[in-house]
Amino acid sequence: MKRDLTRWAGLLATSAIIFAACSSGGGAATSAPSASASSAPSESAAASESASASASAGAVGGPSEELIAAAKTEGNLTTIALPHDWCNYGEVLDSFKTKYGIAVNELDPLVGSGDEIEAIKSNAGNPGPQNPDVVDVGFAFGEANKDLFLPYKVSTWDTIPEAAKSADGNWYGDYYGVMSFVTNTEAVANPPKDWADLTKPEYKNQVALDGDPRTSNQAIQAIYASGLGNGGSLDNAQPGLDFWGNIVKAGNFVPVDANPATIVSGATPIALQWSYNGLASRDANPQIDVTIPATGRFGGVYVQAINKTGPHPNAAKLWMEHLYSDEGQLLWLKGYCNPVRYEDLVKRNAVPADLAAKLPDTTGAVFPTPAQLESATKLITEGWDAATGVKTIATPAP
Amino acid sequence: MRRRRGRVAWWLVFLIGVLYFVLPLYATFVFSLKAKPAFSAYADALSDPLFAQSLGYSMVVGIVTIFASLALIVPTAYWVQLRVPRARSLVEFVTLLPFVIPAVVLVFGLIRVYSRPPLPFTHTDLGSTFLLVAGYVVLSLPYMYRAVDAGLRAIDIRSLTEAAQSMGAGWITIILRIILPNLRVALLSGAFLTLAIVVGEFTIASFLARPAFGPYLNLLSGYEVYQPAAVALISFGLTWLAMIAIAVIGRGTRVRVQIGGAR
Amino acid sequence: MADQGALAARPGRRRSWSWLGLIPFFLFAILFIGLPISYLVLGSFQGLDGNPTLQNYAELSSPTITNAFATSIEVSLVTAIVGGFFGFLLAYAVILGGLPKVLRDALMTFSGVASNFAGVPLALAFIFTLGQLGVLTLWLRGLGINLYASDFTIYSKLGLEVVYLYFQFPLMVLIIAPAIDGLRPEWREAAENMGASSWEYWQRVALPILAPTLIGTMILLFGNAFGAQATAYQLTSGQIPLVPLLIGNQISGDVLHNPGLGYAMAMGMVIIMAGSIAVYTVLQRRAERWRR
Repeated sequence: MKRDLTRWAGLLATSAIIFAACSSGGGAATSAPSASASSAPSESAAASESASASASAGAVGGPSEELIAAAKTEGNLTTIALPHDWCNYGEVLDSFKTKYGIAVNELDPLVGSGDEIEAIKSNAGNPGPQNPDVVDVGFAFGEANKDLFLPYKVSTWDTIPEAAKSADGNWYGDYYGVMSFVTNTEAVANPPKDWADLTKPEYKNQVALDGDPRTSNQAIQAIYASGLGNGGSLDNAQPGLDFWGNIVKAGNFVPVDANPATIVSGATPIALQWSYNGLASRDANPQIDVTIPATGRFGGVYVQAINKTGPHPNAAKLWMEHLYSDEGQLLWLKGYCNPVRYEDLVKRNAVPADLAAKLPDTTGAVFPTPAQLESATKLITEGWDAATGVKTIATPAP
Repeated sequence: MRRRRGRVAWWLVFLIGVLYFVLPLYATFVFSLKAKPAFSAYADALSDPLFAQSLGYSMVVGIVTIFASLALIVPTAYWVQLRVPRARSLVEFVTLLPFVIPAVVLVFGLIRVYSRPPLPFTHTDLGSTFLLVAGYVVLSLPYMYRAVDAGLRAIDIRSLTEAAQSMGAGWITIILRIILPNLRVALLSGAFLTLAIVVGEFTIASFLARPAFGPYLNLLSGYEVYQPAAVALISFGLTWLAMIAIAVIGRGTRVRVQIGGAR
Repeated sequence: MADQGALAARPGRRRSWSWLGLIPFFLFAILFIGLPISYLVLGSFQGLDGNPTLQNYAELSSPTITNAFATSIEVSLVTAIVGGFFGFLLAYAVILGGLPKVLRDALMTFSGVASNFAGVPLALAFIFTLGQLGVLTLWLRGLGINLYASDFTIYSKLGLEVVYLYFQFPLMVLIIAPAIDGLRPEWREAAENMGASSWEYWQRVALPILAPTLIGTMILLFGNAFGAQATAYQLTSGQIPLVPLLIGNQISGDVLHNPGLGYAMAMGMVIIMAGSIAVYTVLQRRAERWRR
């Protein structure tokens, strides 16, 4: 048995998430408002492009009775790549099952976006439980594969920021997090506070990435993010690569794929992960500390989409309605993921105070555009070997 | 005197081997105990009903795979050795292919081919399980073939076959009643290897949406720290027990067919 | 070859009809290996835009990929030989080495499980044993031996080889067992009666008999290590170039890549396996000459 364990940890970039609070930032990317700030009116966007399923099941829309009935007739939903502790998906799934009585068939939670797309392609026309109805993939995968998706605009469509969704309704952003330092305080008495700290000699053999930097988005974006704190910018990821070269040279890098077991056991006491991953670990293991770097705050987003050839299209639509309802968005918030409709929720005072308090302060986080992310990804995946000294010329075996 | 000295050397070899195998398991065990309270990781793991269900499913699929694989491999290996030695290289090449095909490629390929007419296996539960068994037979090919081949080389199949034929036995009788009983050790080896593969595998099982043990392990929260270690050790132990059971059952009738006088 | 005529041929039966007996096997292979991987073969000739191209194969000669192939072959070869050698010794010890019978059953069944203990659990197990804070590392440090003071680290090629052996040894043990079983003690006695030393017995009697199986099983071990991926991913993320990892990068994962290139690399692996079969066939023919 060869366990194919693709680390599910990538975040693909989204376009700049222009939350209304920041008014017009005209540059290539603007920063998101702080988590607790209340914002100006959400951007208007297309007023008449409302959800295909008629709305008005409540103050913020909701699925129509016909949709619910049609979905219940289908009776099943097949999902893929949804770990239960990622953004509290466990509770999201349970609440969906309880509320609508639809069974959910969960495929492998640990596969990457590439495998999700391949699963859609291979299963075209298959009515069996192997065919995923809905996917949660990185942004680049959304636009690149839009022909595979069924356009659908949820009833709360208008409250999703423009830049986070496809105009045609093929894909739509769901949540985001910020790159952070996840530290095991039992092994590391003094957790790093900012990027520059990572090269300090006290952290020898302690710093790890979550995933292979040539294949995992979480790892790639950690490198991209580190550039921000070291003279780089969203347009230029090279300083990030150079910085990691320094970390390796300083002897601080431990080349192990970081996960909760390796963090807690002390094998990778300092890991770079998205804030929601670290915070979820911290709930179960209080010795874990999650720190957002003081400078160079970097955010990343995922997108949802419905499989055009999935066997349960109505259940899929209902699932989307559930995710984008206040209830669904708040469940994600409970998992420490910033839901994409956060600004709207805050504006309507729909966020419970204790929940809002749980989110870390992410003021000043920046989000790359798809073009910026694509070029940074290319740079990093191709330059990693050279920057960190992994030999690329085949040498004869000693 | 030489025997005794020789024996000490073999004991040494054995003990070094034991040390190498046991240390990492011990280290994992020590780590799993750090859950508070101690052994809670094991209690959590065993109290989940899905644990037994999925492990049971995988064991059943494993047994079916073993039989299917044997039914395919034993006659083939026998035939190659007996009648078509020229085919050996080609057959061995085919049996080594599963190593170089990534599991995701294999499962997506199976789905593409068998999710539509004329052979829509994925449309039914039974069909999907059949596809899973087929996939596992593919995965076990290299090991099963090599084990059976090793066993066949160690016995004189030519003489056995001739003698049986001279007494009027047909091919099926020869294989079932002459060859198989003499392959006991090889068959057990192949069976162990196949069972281990099936119980541990998860890529194919999960993309085929089968309730097997591998996918169950994956659904265990990714943020659990100690439970996966506990589950790994438990499944290691249970699979070992299953193999001991197979070994005991397989011990049954040991038929040694003697040809002529002393060998 | 002497064996062709040995079996009494029925009148009218031509040798070529014997191939019919292999039909079930080849049919199964076509249905469940050939067809599913046909799109792998086709895909290897497809570029990112879907058009036919040889570009993927051309890229196989890039430094990163050649380096990965070289490393994969090296790691697989080392673990196949070391695993084969020590696995053989271990199997011999419990079968013919005079140890209690129960140890044999214990080793066989344990080998069954251990042969498949790979991936994340195995990597973690070794990190817990020989990592910076591993049980063995700390124990040795208590004795005054600091493993990590030198260049040693479990996260290196050598470390990976040590870990791979965990499933290589058992594989060898299981497969070679029937062959060792086939070594009759009477042969050894006969050899000794004729004045052969232990070494001569091995050289003239035991090894020639075991050689085809030994070599064939080492090829199996080679293939086994060659295709292994998950263990390496967990243990050495991003540091050690291996072909299965590169293939995974291209066809799975979260970054848009070039699946066609991944398929071409997989075809490269197929060619290497074919090559190892060729080597094995040559070695085996030579070994069989010893028996004459």
